[in-house]
Amino acid sequence: MKTDAVPGDYVEVSLIKRDYEGILLESPDAERGIVLLKLDSGYNIGFIRKDVSGIKILRKAEEIKKEIDVKRNKEKPNIAMIITGGTIAARLNPKKGGVDWLTSPEDLFKFYPELFELVNVVKVEVPFMKASEDMDFKDWQKLAKVSKKLLNDSNIKGLIITHGTDFLHYTSAALSFFLKDLNKPVVLTYSQRSIDRASSDANLNLQCSALAAISDIAEVMLVGHATINDDYCYAMPGTKVRKMHTSRRDAFKIVNGNPIAKIYPDRIDILSNHNLRDNKKSVSCDTDFLESVALVKIYPGQDPDILDYYLKKKYKGIVLEMSGLGHAPTKRARKGWTKKLKEVQGKGMIVCAAAQTINGRLDPLVYSNGRELLDTGIIYLEDMLAETAFVKLGWVLAKTTKRDEVRKMMLTNVAGELNNRLGV
Amino acid sequence: MVYLDYEKIGLKCGLEIHQQLDSHKLFCNCPSVLRKDEPDFCVKRKLHAVAGESGQVDVAAEYQAGLGKEFVYQAYDTTCLVELDESPPREINEEALRTALHISLLLNCKIVPITQIMRKTVIDGSNTSGFQRSVLVARDGWIESEHGRVGINYVYLEEDAARKVSEEDWNVVYRLDRLGIPLVEIVTAPDVKTPEQAKEIALHIGDILRSCRVRRGIGTIRQDINVSIAGHPRAEIKGFQDPKIFIDVVNKEIERQKEDLDSGKEGLVPEVRGANLDGSTKYLRPLPGSARMYPETDLPLLKISRSFIDDSKKNLPKHNKEIEKELEKQGLNVEMIKLLIKQNKIEEFKSLLSVLNQPMVVAKSLLVYPREVSSRSGKDSKEIEEISSKLDSFLEQIFGAVKKKQISSGQIKEVMESLASGSKFSEALKMRRNDSGDIQERIMKLLKGKPGLSENAYMGLIMKEFKGKISGSDAMEIIRKFIGKR
Repeated sequence: MKTDAVPGDYVEVSLIKRDYEGILLESPDAERGIVLLKLDSGYNIGFIRKDVSGIKILRKAEEIKKEIDVKRNKEKPNIAMIITGGTIAARLNPKKGGVDWLTSPEDLFKFYPELFELVNVVKVEVPFMKASEDMDFKDWQKLAKVSKKLLNDSNIKGLIITHGTDFLHYTSAALSFFLKDLNKPVVLTYSQRSIDRASSDANLNLQCSALAAISDIAEVMLVGHATINDDYCYAMPGTKVRKMHTSRRDAFKIVNGNPIAKIYPDRIDILSNHNLRDNKKSVSCDTDFLESVALVKIYPGQDPDILDYYLKKKYKGIVLEMSGLGHAPTKRARKGWTKKLKEVQGKGMIVCAAAQTINGRLDPLVYSNGRELLDTGIIYLEDMLAETAFVKLGWVLAKTTKRDEVRKMMLTNVAGELNNRLGV
Repeated sequence: MVYLDYEKIGLKCGLEIHQQLDSHKLFCNCPSVLRKDEPDFCVKRKLHAVAGESGQVDVAAEYQAGLGKEFVYQAYDTTCLVELDESPPREINEEALRTALHISLLLNCKIVPITQIMRKTVIDGSNTSGFQRSVLVARDGWIESEHGRVGINYVYLEEDAARKVSEEDWNVVYRLDRLGIPLVEIVTAPDVKTPEQAKEIALHIGDILRSCRVRRGIGTIRQDINVSIAGHPRAEIKGFQDPKIFIDVVNKEIERQKEDLDSGKEGLVPEVRGANLDGSTKYLRPLPGSARMYPETDLPLLKISRSFIDDSKKNLPKHNKEIEKELEKQGLNVEMIKLLIKQNKIEEFKSLLSVLNQPMVVAKSLLVYPREVSSRSGKDSKEIEEISSKLDSFLEQIFGAVKKKQISSGQIKEVMESLASGSKFSEALKMRRNDSGDIQERIMKLLKGKPGLSENAYMGLIMKEFKGKISGSDAMEIIRKFIGKR
């Protein structure tokens, strides 16, 4: 069956018993053997491609290009946006069936008119379009460079970066370390519900992000729903935040820290100390990153020989997500780690410890097991999130691999990643 | 009312019938229970206008988004993240799909084997997601009526909406218990030519629905009717549960449309109207267009397999008339049959019959005794309800005991009474068993005292003495034992 019809065309699909009229749609990737048709009622149905005897074009697809006038107002502050992909920038094209990306101010305006009531979005940069799980340090580096350029533009008051949620907290940590002498707000935000639905969480997240972006909080922060209500967001410190739910709109939670601010669509309540806006400052980038670092979770009965693999692959650093106050199987375990840990560190590998309990501070001194592991030379990273620790270790190892220097830098607070006072 | 020549004015009517199915929710595993108690927590949300295809904001959607309200959703321990729009939908409820297929097949429809679950934009707040999930499952059926055949255009399976609890200017409160209950929507062709025919078709479809696994009672079925006369766009009239007022509503709507045409009113568009109690209607909103439909991207295409369709055909529910015949054969009287159908307990009856094959005993114990016992023991309607459902839950055990002859069928009610007064099952049973042994002994004594009588004479004696404490069949068993001994 050959046809010139393309998705979007109004067609007649012929089968043995009956013909159907409707808009031809793009079949999903996994369903190439199916012809998908949007009936006049709006419902989509499918036919097995080999059952279709013909597809006749009744009307070619019309490209309706409505010119949208994005309202700008000199009295409103100007912000810039960086779009990187993820749910917040993806919209389904129901006419064709595929996904379209929002990449221009016009697209954004169409979907998020509320955002434009607060600010002028004067620049939109799209360095790449990716799901966040497909990103790595090279993307963080690109983002930092684009951010620097925008932040040093005197016409722009603040920056919003939209991002997929899966690895968003790695990016927020990376930008926290990569951007030096931060002068203005850098706001990362997301959506958990697709933006083509009226209930999308993106609207509130963006409205609150806009307020954060024009505030005096010169920090890398993640702004998103504080609860499952659509009433306010938290501005969360970039190094102290983690995705804690697969699907809820308040997926991101602060770990071992406090929100910087509580943001309603019409006001900001400042909740904790932060770096203040300083338009005289100029941002610089410090983006070197050593790729050969790993993040490994300890589990019961785990074979320590796994470390040989990393050694062989010339890894320079490992963050171990350890149990409880900072433990791994010791000499008393059937497969103890103590000896192997000593061995790999002796060969130059840096081993850091973070908590797999997520919340709380490590303390290897409480139990003899902890002391035994501490003696091997592991750097215990206090209350630092494992994900943040991973990012920081790659960043530090790009500067030095000397054990003492690495230890000192890892335990020095650079971007709020360490908190020496944990509250309730 | 003036006599109307429906043919001359070009009356076209079509029905849309929405029926809740008797199953858990359509896209999650929450029970379909309507709650009367105070909510456990509330969630506040806002909805936003969304651009549909090619950037057009759908007319009905736009109309409602303009209102910019805050929605409060009342939630319970029976509410899950899917209903709160905090988690993607689970796969479609297969049980509900099967019932939808049964209904479609009984309406002579063709099943759509490859179909896509759609999101229908609804932003009056009645769906936390901002859309209603809906899927086309069948098409091109028909139903006979005295006034001629009426086509069935489509059968859809969809989620019910949340219940509105209250509404103020900027704040609407909904309860989430009803959201997601599976619903079948049947859309007839505009073949209906008179209001009488509309009523007949509605009742006929209602009959077919009730032979399938559907929910019963107020609010479980809703009918809309589309009405247009030649030259006037159609009006969809919502909000009546009683097909009996169809005739009145249609006639009044015809009058209204005639007035529109006579007065030369311009800019007439299809619209949704609500039925008032007196049969007149009020304007609700413009009729939504197809632009508000887009696919549920969180779920794959729904493929209804050949084997699933065949299996549904094999297990098609019988029409009530057939069921009645079958039950009569089993020895139930008309009264019990009616009760069984009315209380929607045929499936339960059948499954209990497999425990104890005594149709009348099972029917009475299922339909009559629990209500009798509970209304005597319970203080208020809530307590009566509780006791009654508690007794229901013991039926299988009770019948098991009858089968094992631990108690007689005549003692079922007494066992229920002790259960209602708080006894444990074992205690209730023990008490009756003692009784039963006791009665048996007393009967034997009675029989021994009057030797040489016929079976019937003994029966008369026993029934006079022990009426209500022993069933006829049990008495006969004892008599036969005695005569046999003799």
